[in-house]
Formats: sequence, C-alpha cells, structure tokens
Amino acid sequence: MKHWIGICVLILTILAISFVVAANINVLLPSTNVRTLAEIYLKYTYYPWDKYFTAMSPEACTSIVWDFRGLDTVFETMVFYLAIIGAIALARGVPLKPPKEIKGEPGLSLIVKTVTKIAPVLIIAVAGSIALHGHLTPGGGFQGGATAAVAPVLILVVFSQFYLLKRGVNKNSMLLLRSIGLTGIGITAFAAVLIGLATGHYAFVLQNQPKPLAPNISLPAFVGGQLISGSLWFFNFFEFLAVAAGFTIVFLLITLPEKLAETKEEKRAAEGGEK
Amino acid sequence: MSYGEAFLLGITALAAIFSTIATYMAIMERDLLKAVIFSAIQSTIYAFIYYMLMAPDIDLVYIPVAVGLYPAVIIALIKKTTREEKP
Repeated sequence: MKHWIGICVLILTILAISFVVAANINVLLPSTNVRTLAEIYLKYTYYPWDKYFTAMSPEACTSIVWDFRGLDTVFETMVFYLAIIGAIALARGVPLKPPKEIKGEPGLSLIVKTVTKIAPVLIIAVAGSIALHGHLTPGGGFQGGATAAVAPVLILVVFSQFYLLKRGVNKNSMLLLRSIGLTGIGITAFAAVLIGLATGHYAFVLQNQPKPLAPNISLPAFVGGQLISGSLWFFNFFEFLAVAAGFTIVFLLITLPEKLAETKEEKRAAEGGEK
Repeated sequence: MSYGEAFLLGITALAAIFSTIATYMAIMERDLLKAVIFSAIQSTIYAFIYYMLMAPDIDLVYIPVAVGLYPAVIIALIKKTTREEKP
C-alpha cells in the first residue's frame, strides 16, 4: 500500500513536469544555432575532399572520441587505469591461487554449465566485432572491452574462480594484457611524431590525418583497400585489450573467497580467538 | 512528425515512466538482492530508451556495464555482507 502511494505521486510528478515542458517548449528548447557544431562533426567525420579536417571514419562517435577530442579520451583511459591500480593495490599480498584440494564440484548445475560453455564464445565474438568495427559501425574499444569482460564474469559465477585461474586467466596474465593495451595506446598516440622525427617533418601527438601545420605526416586511412581510419582502428583495438583485462582483474579480486585471502597471522589470530 | 514516429516516442515515454517506478522500487526494497534486480530492470529499460533515442554507441557500453557487470559487482558485495538492509 505504501509503495502504491509513492508510485502514484511519482507518476503524477512526471506527468506534471512533462506538461510544463510541453507547454513551454519554445522557451525550453535550445536554439538551433547549437546544432551547427553537430553539423560540422557529421560533415567532417568522413570527408576525403578536405583531408586537413576529416577523421576518415564514417562513425561520428569514434572520430570524436579518438580524433577530434582524443586527449580527453587518453585522460579517461588514465582514470580507468588508476581505478584498476587502486583495486590491485588494495588486494596486495593476496595470493590468487586455487587451493590444492577442492571439496566437491564447484559451480552451478550441469545445465547452466553446458549453456555457459557456448555463451562466452559468442560474447567474445560479438565483443571483437564491436571493437574492431568501431570505426565503421557504432561501437569502439571501451564498448567491446566491457562486452568481452562479461564472458569471464559469467565463467566466474557459473564455473567458480578456480576454473579461470587453472587455465591461466589470473592477475598477472591479465595485467600483462592490460599493459600491452596501454603501451599500444601510447605508441599509437606518438606514432605520427615518431614518423615525423624519422622523416624530418613536423607532426603532432595524437595526430591521425594530415593537419595544416603538419601536411606531410598522416597515418594510412586505407590498408589493402580496407578502411582502417588511420589511428582509430589501433586505438580501438588496444583500448579493447586494456578494458577487457582491467575489468577481469577487478572481478577476479572481488570474487576471491575471503578465507583464501587471509594471511598466516590472521589465520593464527582467528584460531586463537576461537580457543 | 508521422503517426508511427509519435507512437514509438509514446512507447519510449511509457518505458521511461516504468524505469522510474523500477528505480523507486530499488530504493524502497529492503531485500538488497531484489533491489539489484529492480535496478537491472531499470537498466534494461534505459538501454531500450537509448536505442529509441538513436544513441547506439552509448547503448553498446551501457548494456554490458549496467545489465551485466554492475549487478555482478553488487551481488558479490551482498554475498560478502548481508542480504537484508537494516532500518
């Protein structure tokens, strides 16, 4: 009964706000001038006729995220990196190893396990297509990485953590994958500068296509006739690795049974307390 | 605006109201596991709304994070603490 009153009040509030907004729609809507910015982005996202301003990618979101405002995304990646490092630092000294003897069959029932044997393959395939097609269709590195991270979570829940640990998906291997991803992002960001240094031309950090002040340096938009949009494909691919591995580390640490995380001193203290 | 477009936007508005109800239930529910499920329902409706508002990029990151990873984190947390929220 209590809930119904709350829900009714909620719906009435929504309807009242909708009515006020609809009645004053001319005042509350932003002016149409704001949208010229969107028009510029949509025009130049794939515009081979003006090579100085285009990102050579038909996908407007990826062009904005990794080209037009690439530095913001680098900082976002850094924030995510720091969050994962924080989680790892909290769990320092915790041995992430499966116990030698596991009592009984860990995990859920046989039906769930059989389904889960198929699902992660599909999830990883979809995640790969989201990430590697990120410069052509909606999607990108973070989207693909987050999708790929669902697969280890599913396995953790259904098969138990030890299933993953025994097959080499542990903190160190994921950290290695994550470091490869981050190093790749760094190298891609500096690729134009490195080419510029080697050939003796001006170039910018995070440069993709030629710019008015650096007209001689650009990353290839096409490889073998396939559109890869210069740096965008590489950014998406390395971000995919970094995000998927980062999420996997966090979930491995979160789902660790606390008994395994106890140090020898803590175990002794707990036994002493029981006596 | 055509009738078909208005119909689809109407469904989106209705979904938005349902998502608010799901959020309300998630906040009021004392059983935290049920609260997570209500929150996941809200996330699912939001994913639909993002799709209807033609934001597929944000939808692709919203579905795995809000429907998959975030409930998994909260459920792991509930398992390690208590299921009932004390008044």
